[in-house]
Amino acid sequence: MKVALRYLWAYAAFGLGLGTFYYVLTEEWVGSIALWFLGVMPLIVALWWTRHGPSAAVRASDDPGADPAASAGTSLGSFPTATAWPVFLVLGVFVTGASLVYGLLLLPVGAVMLVWAIVGLARESRG
Amino acid sequence: MTAARRSASTLLALTAASCSSSFGMPRGSTEQGRDIFDLWQIFFWAGIAVAALVYGLIGWSLVRYRRRRRDADDAQGLPFHANVPLEIVYTAIPVVIVIALFALSFGTEDRASSVSPTPDVTLRAEAFSWGWRFSYPGDGVEVVSEPSGEGVPGPEIVLPLGETTRIELTSNDVIHAFWVPDFLYKRDAIPGRVNVFDVTPTDLGEFHGVCSEFCGLHHAYMTFTVRVVSPNEFEAWLASERSTP
Amino acid sequence: MSTGTRTPVVAADRPRAGPVAWLTTTDHKKIGVLYCVTAFAYFLIGGALAGAMRAELADTGNQLVGPQSYNTLFTVHGIIMIFLFVAPFGVGLANYLVPLQIGAPDMAFPRLNAMSYWFFAGGGVLVLLSSFATDAGGVATGWYLYPPLSGPRYSPGVGPDLLILGLALVAISTLMSGVNVITTTFLMRAPGMTMWRLPIFTWNVVVTAILGLVAFPPAVAAFVLLLFDRRLGGHAFDPLGGGDPIVYQHLFWFLGHPEVYILILPFFGVITEIIPVFSRKRLFGYTGFVLATLAIGALSTGVWAHHMFTTGVVDNPFFSAMTFTIAVPTGVKFFNWIGTMWGGKITFRVPMLFAVGFLLNFLIGGVTGVMLASAPLDFQLSDSYFLVSHFHYTMMGGSVFGIFAAIYFWWPKAFGYRLSERLGRGVFALMFVGFNMTFWPQFVVGLRGMPRRIVDYAPGLGWETPNLVSSLGVVVLSAGVLVFLLDALTSRRRRTPAGDDPWGGSSLEWATSSPPPEHNFTSLPRIRSDRPAYDLHHRAEAGEAGRPRSEETA
Repeated sequence: MKVALRYLWAYAAFGLGLGTFYYVLTEEWVGSIALWFLGVMPLIVALWWTRHGPSAAVRASDDPGADPAASAGTSLGSFPTATAWPVFLVLGVFVTGASLVYGLLLLPVGAVMLVWAIVGLARESRG
Repeated sequence: MTAARRSASTLLALTAASCSSSFGMPRGSTEQGRDIFDLWQIFFWAGIAVAALVYGLIGWSLVRYRRRRRDADDAQGLPFHANVPLEIVYTAIPVVIVIALFALSFGTEDRASSVSPTPDVTLRAEAFSWGWRFSYPGDGVEVVSEPSGEGVPGPEIVLPLGETTRIELTSNDVIHAFWVPDFLYKRDAIPGRVNVFDVTPTDLGEFHGVCSEFCGLHHAYMTFTVRVVSPNEFEAWLASERSTP
Repeated sequence: MSTGTRTPVVAADRPRAGPVAWLTTTDHKKIGVLYCVTAFAYFLIGGALAGAMRAELADTGNQLVGPQSYNTLFTVHGIIMIFLFVAPFGVGLANYLVPLQIGAPDMAFPRLNAMSYWFFAGGGVLVLLSSFATDAGGVATGWYLYPPLSGPRYSPGVGPDLLILGLALVAISTLMSGVNVITTTFLMRAPGMTMWRLPIFTWNVVVTAILGLVAFPPAVAAFVLLLFDRRLGGHAFDPLGGGDPIVYQHLFWFLGHPEVYILILPFFGVITEIIPVFSRKRLFGYTGFVLATLAIGALSTGVWAHHMFTTGVVDNPFFSAMTFTIAVPTGVKFFNWIGTMWGGKITFRVPMLFAVGFLLNFLIGGVTGVMLASAPLDFQLSDSYFLVSHFHYTMMGGSVFGIFAAIYFWWPKAFGYRLSERLGRGVFALMFVGFNMTFWPQFVVGLRGMPRRIVDYAPGLGWETPNLVSSLGVVVLSAGVLVFLLDALTSRRRRTPAGDDPWGGSSLEWATSSPPPEHNFTSLPRIRSDRPAYDLHHRAEAGEAGRPRSEETA
């Protein structure tokens, strides 16, 4: 995972560096800000990961000599199968969005679907 | 001519156009355009060389290293899969090539886009949907498009041979663009901005012009013509335009 | 006895078949198939639109579709092909393959994965509505949606609003997929599958995912501002209100250029999986290839205004230099591919045919791209058919050929039966000839001065013949696609079993059954290189002593 972290730092440095170089050269704000934010995004992730990341112990996936038995039985977390909430959520978004164009009567319908789906997803995550 | 002969000659003409030394690019009828054409020649031949090399290598590999019938079912290729010196070389050479191409482009752009402080003629070009309003402010002449449509000819402007015309380009509504392919030059017409560029014609003749930034319904019909004449004829044309209402 | 499987917690019951199963699935393989099938349907729609355009352009004079319809056609064709076909197909492939290639049971966030598909599906429907189901006629601004043309005064209908909403949903879908792919690859690799042993396809889609995350937000910002201008009295892009249409172009192209790398990188990955397998040789220069991919990802964010060279308001030399720079890592990949074939034992199965077609086509796209990198040349070539041909050579000659290569390569893995070699060769031949017949003449006519996005052109300029040849090429190309559909249908009926590893593949997906079981692997092989399936199958045959296979480990 160290490798992945290194790439995040590299992308952050690239974005911030190129953005600064571009600004000095052109003083054009839109591109400069876009490039700086391009650097800030991986920076945020890299900083968070450095502070909160897993212990220094090498994970099996980063150990070139690891065997599959090395992580046998470890739980990877839950993999929820078959849920209808994603479809329902998107239908709600769709109806809400379409209401802005096809008639505001649809807006409450879409909004209700949207909220219902979000609540449903949240409860499903907890359970 | 039979259909077969017609299609054969069509194919031949197409191939000939592709194979002509400029690959169909106009040679440029302005000083700026000729400069750009020279640069194009370099890029064109460099492109041919690179393509020939890479196609050659691909073709050679496919032929020489194809699996033959005599090979065992699971015969494997040669075991090499890296060669750092080679990789460095084949990265470094393209770097050198692109640096050269960039340097040449930089010079050409600098010259082609440079605007003379003392132009001989000033032409103001206002694009609108869907036509052009050309005016020679110093000479009190204006040329405006007819309402656009299929088959409607665009307006004609006249420029003097060998003299520098400064074109001040803008738009009244949406983004358009002024493009004369024979001049190898186009520039966007942006509302709220005036783009300025110089045109110094080197050839007499009539040159087709188009709008090259999509601007709505009749974008395809926003054509115009540039006619290049001798400076005397140009003055005569201006005079006649001034006198007619 | 440990089988080496990591054991995820699974729900006991779920619908296994039928439409409900597909609507509610969170299985990355099903979602991958959903993405690819939906994207392919959009390919057929977008292709039909192109056919209509080329039918009109075959001859001078306005015969078939009027200007308003034509303008809608090319707008929607562009949007569909870019955002609803090529990009989602790449996401679908990534969804299907990444967990398999890294030895994971599924993606890190299966429900988010499902949501990203449905956002794409919903966004796509909104895009279709924006084109066909509006009373003012569909959106007809060009796929860029440049203001002021796309603003309230010049495009007052609801088409652009629906399109913006649809694209916003597609953007959200992309962001979700990006997060999923990156997290999965960083955190769920099997034991021994270090980053430097990842298959090139997975590397490529990780970089694609990062690009998606960084590039989409500015474009969404541009669309939101455009919506403000259109519906809420804003003047962000209205010069009469103190705004600037050029700001839109900067924001749009900040996405627009990385977007085209999002469109090609997965397919660089695809053919880099295929060429070594059919050359019976390891990829030449794996490390260099990965570094080149990372470089392309980074550099692609710095070249956006090469789409604005003719505006006169950007620093052309900066963007020209960056564009020339990015040509280098893209170009050296050709040497990786050639170096892989060199010294190999090449077999010309259908995936390899499409991979070679990709190489031949993409080279032309790349060389013409270097020409376009030169700002003064752009003064002639930009917004002409030369440009149209360039991007079709990269996006169609490249990505679409990569898509067909991927289809023929991974179909046996996904469905358990093979496609027809014979029909596949026919598909390739028709598509290769048809594609080049369609787009080569467009270079010619572009150099002769034909601008893009025009419904009609004047006679006597020498544009008729190339346009006619180009339009005939579409017929040949379409025939190829039809033969493919025929192949898909007849192969399904024939059901020739594929087996785990029909091609002699290297990456982990070839070490499990076809199709893979629920959660992908019943047992993971030991991973000691970047070709775990190859190692597994060849060590097993050689019966190497002292190296027990993972299945035998107690």
